[in-house]
Amino acid sequence: MRVFAGIDAGSTYLKAALVDDQRQLLGVKTAPTGIDARETAQEVLDALCLQVGVEPAALAAITATGYSRRQIDLAGDNVTEIKAHAAGARWALGVDSEVRTLIDVGGQDSKVIVFDDNGAVKNFVMNDKCAAGTGRFLEALARVLDVSVKEIGPMALQSKLPCEINSMCVVFAESEVISLLARRHDPVDIVAGIHVSMAKRIAVMARKAGLSGEVLLTGGGGLNPGLVAAFEDELLCDVHIAEHPQLNGAIGAALLAGRLAAAA
Amino acid sequence: MGKRKQRLLRALGRSAEGVLRGLEEAADRPKQLDYFIEVMRAAYVDDCLAERLELNEPRPKVVGIYCVMAPEELVYAAGAIPLRLCGGSHEASCAGDELAPRDACPVVKSALGSTALGAPSLYELCDVVVVPTTCDAKRKMGEELAQHTEVWVLDVPHVKESEGARRQWLEELHGFKRDLERLTGNRIKRRALKEAIAMLGRAQHQARRLYQLRQAPVPVVRGNEAALALHAFAFDRADRWTEAMTRLNDELEDRVRHQQSPQGAQIPRLMLAGAPSIFPNWKLPNLIEEMGGALVTDESCVGDRYLYDPVGAVENTMEDMMVALGSRYLMPCTCPSFAPNDDRLFRLRQAVEDFQLDGVLYLVLKGCVIYDFELQRVEKLMRELGLPVLRIETDYNPEDVEQLRTRVEAFIEMIQENIQQEGGA
Repeated sequence: MRVFAGIDAGSTYLKAALVDDQRQLLGVKTAPTGIDARETAQEVLDALCLQVGVEPAALAAITATGYSRRQIDLAGDNVTEIKAHAAGARWALGVDSEVRTLIDVGGQDSKVIVFDDNGAVKNFVMNDKCAAGTGRFLEALARVLDVSVKEIGPMALQSKLPCEINSMCVVFAESEVISLLARRHDPVDIVAGIHVSMAKRIAVMARKAGLSGEVLLTGGGGLNPGLVAAFEDELLCDVHIAEHPQLNGAIGAALLAGRLAAAA
Repeated sequence: MGKRKQRLLRALGRSAEGVLRGLEEAADRPKQLDYFIEVMRAAYVDDCLAERLELNEPRPKVVGIYCVMAPEELVYAAGAIPLRLCGGSHEASCAGDELAPRDACPVVKSALGSTALGAPSLYELCDVVVVPTTCDAKRKMGEELAQHTEVWVLDVPHVKESEGARRQWLEELHGFKRDLERLTGNRIKRRALKEAIAMLGRAQHQARRLYQLRQAPVPVVRGNEAALALHAFAFDRADRWTEAMTRLNDELEDRVRHQQSPQGAQIPRLMLAGAPSIFPNWKLPNLIEEMGGALVTDESCVGDRYLYDPVGAVENTMEDMMVALGSRYLMPCTCPSFAPNDDRLFRLRQAVEDFQLDGVLYLVLKGCVIYDFELQRVEKLMRELGLPVLRIETDYNPEDVEQLRTRVEAFIEMIQENIQQEGGA
C-alpha cells in the first residue's frame, strides 16, 4: 500500500491528511500554523504518521498547498488552494452529487470555485485583499461580543430577526456592532446579522463566479451552522458540508500527490 | 537638486533595477534584448536619458506625450524628439497621491508625482507636454500638469464614426502642427513629414513583425521581455529603436526556425488585456511568466495599441498626409475612452484567433472605470469563444503580489487542466 500526504499550510491552521492508493482517507491532523510553517508541518506530519502507523520516510509523495505552501520544503510539490480544494471536493462528493460550486471560508481569504461535470475548475473568484468575508471577520466580531467563535454559529440560529450590519470592513463593522449593543439590541440578533452580512458578501463573489448547482461549504466556515443557514437563505440553494470541512484542501493535496484526483 | 527628488530618484532606481535584473537573470533571454534593457535603465535607473539620446547643442526640443493619439510623426518632422510620459512607478504614484484624488488611477498619480518632483529627469527634459482628452483622469491631470510645465491639450473626439468629429480632429492636428512649428521654429515641410512617416512606418513594421513572431505555436520570447522591448520605444529615438528591434526580430526568427523556446509548446497562451502595465510596474507580466504561462500578446497602449498600425498615406501631399495621420491616430484606436467601442471587441476576437489564446488576464487599475465597464462585454465575447477571463484589480503597490500570484497560478492551472482534458478527449 502506498501512502500519500497533503499539507495545507493556511494562515491560521496547518492541516495534514494521509490517503492510500485506493483513495481511502487514513487520517488527518490539525495544528495552529504558528510562526514557522515549515517546523509545524514536520511536527504535524510526524504525529499523523505515528497515529496512522506509517513511517514518515515511507510516504510515497507529499504535496503542499495553502498560503505558506512554498515554505514547506518537505513536500516534493505544491499546488494552489484552488486546485487542491477542487480535488478535495470531487473526492468528498462522489459521482452523483449535484454540487458544482465550492465556497471556502478560510482564516484570511475566502474563495468560490465553480467546476464542471467532470470536476475541472471552470472559474474561481477570491476575495480582495482585505478581511471582509473571511474567518477573521467572524473572529473579530465575536471578540467584540465576548463570545467564542464556536458559539456564534448556533447562537445565530436562534434569531428571529437578524440586525442589519452594513459595513464590510472589519474595523467599521466592529464599531457598528458596538453601537448596536449600546442601543440594547439582542446579541443573538447581532450575531445573526453578522452571518447574513458575511453570506451576502460571499454570495456576490459566488454569482460573479457563475454559481451553478448546489454548494459545498469548506474551510473553518463549514463548522459554523449559522453561516450554512445564512448561505442557504442568500443563495437559495442547498448548502452541503464536507465531512472534514477544514481538511478539504489537505485531502485534495494528498490525492494530487498520488495523482489520484482525476479518477472520480 | 531637492532632497525629495533625490530620494524619489533613488527609490525609482531601485525598483526599476529590480525588474531589469530579473529579466537579466534569465540566461536564455534573447541576446538582442539587452539594448532595450539599457534604454530602460538609462531612463529610470541611471537617470541619464538626455545623454543617451545625445541631445547635443543646439538641443532639439523635447515633446512629452501622454496616451497614444498625438502623432509622433509630426514631432519628428518638426525636428523635435517625442518622449512618452504615462507613468508606471509605484514610488512616483505615492508622491502623486497628494496631487490627485484618492480614486484617481495610478497612471495619472505616477505622472503627476514624476512631473512635480522632476524624477526621473526625463520629465524635466520636456519643453512641453501633450495631453489628449481621453478619460476624465487624464483630462484633469492635464490641468494639474499645467502648474509645472507647458501643456497642450489635444481634443480627441469620443465618437469616432461621425463626420463632424473627423473634421474637428483634423483641425486639431493642424493646430498641433502649428504649435510644433512655433515651438521649434521649424516649418514642417512636406518632405520632412513624408520622411517621418516613413521612419515611424519602419518602426511600426518591426513592432508588427514581433507580434507575428509571437504567433508561432512555440513561444520564442517571454511576454515580459517582448513588452519591455516594445515599451522602450517611449524613451528612444525611433530610428535607433527600429534598428535594435530589427536585430531582436532576426534573432527570434532564428529561434522559430530552430524551434528554440524558453518555454515549450504545451504552455497556456495568454493575453494581458485591459489597463496597461507600464514600466516599472512589471507585476503582471512577470507573474504570468513565472507561474508557467506564456504572455503572447496584449492590447496595451505601451504595446500593441501604441505601435501596431501603419499610416496609410496614398498621395504625399501635405493634406493627404495629415488626413492619413488623422485616421491612423483615431480610427484603429481601441482605448475605452471611445464610445461606442465595438472595434475593441473586434480586435480582441481577432487576437484570440491569431495568437491561439487559451485565456485572458484582464487588468483593472484601481480608479480606471472605463476598462472595468467594458469588462462585461469582453467577458461575454470570451464566453462565446470559450475562453476564461481572470479580472485582476490592483495598483502599483507591490504588497499584493503574493495574493495575485495565487490567483494567476490557479488560473494557469485551470487552463492547463482544460488543455489536458481536451488533449485526452
